[in-house]
Amino acid sequence: MTTTSKSPVVFDRTYDAPIEDVWELWTTKDGFESWWGPEGFRVEVHEINPTVGGTLFYDMIACGAVQVAHMKAANMPLSHETRGTFTLVEPLKRLAIRHLIDFIPGIDAYENFMRVEFSQSAKGTRMLLSIDAHSTEEWTKAATQGMTSQLTKLPAALEARRK
Amino acid sequence: MMQLDVFQVIADPMRRQILASLQQGELQVNDVVKVLEIHQSGVSRHLRILLESGFVQMRADGQRRLYSLRAQPFQDLDTWLSAFRELWEARLDRFERALQQKQQAKKKNPKKTELS
Repeated sequence: MTTTSKSPVVFDRTYDAPIEDVWELWTTKDGFESWWGPEGFRVEVHEINPTVGGTLFYDMIACGAVQVAHMKAANMPLSHETRGTFTLVEPLKRLAIRHLIDFIPGIDAYENFMRVEFSQSAKGTRMLLSIDAHSTEEWTKAATQGMTSQLTKLPAALEARRK
Repeated sequence: MMQLDVFQVIADPMRRQILASLQQGELQVNDVVKVLEIHQSGVSRHLRILLESGFVQMRADGQRRLYSLRAQPFQDLDTWLSAFRELWEARLDRFERALQQKQQAKKKNPKKTELS
């Protein structure tokens, strides 16, 4: 589908760590695998190439008991390939990633955008993350079926769809 | 007509202005036109979209058609955004823990980390 609206949700965090370390968590295999993914999921990075147009390719693997049960109930595989592209890379300053969300049963593929800005602050490294909170086909479907409350009960599934 | 999702509905600045104008209470199309100084056909079109998407309701009062806000889509939006936020806050907590571990590893074995 065409994404015409942008509804970014912004997160502003400051970490007591050098900017290089924060950058590496986004741009290296080890770094990315150390934190990415919703609760109960882990990732295995096949390719991470932080250059403009570079590939980000990984498996998202359910490993928490609740998440595994949910994925099974939703008839979704426990592991799915996820692809993204770095659309902006300015080392230690900013990066943007476009994810292709094409693994949700019954939902047409769509793109999700996120952008991260890094800067030095007195307390460490400030990280400003904005995520395009659009891409809500599945949310709309669920909402029209009166299932909105269900979504809040299934945060892991919701989060998996964000990716 | 393709059903717009909530984000598409509120993505349009004109529709956001109409929603804002309805915060003061029930209005007729003409009232909205006066407040926003845009052409009636535009207001009617956007009101129809807001009506179809459930953001706005309409009641007839004699000859008058009065439009007002409906709470439900705003509550849905709020619920969804809150869940979305919570999940990402949790993920950014994990980011912080990963950073701490990285630094501890560096302290323990600076050489190895430099090489990696």
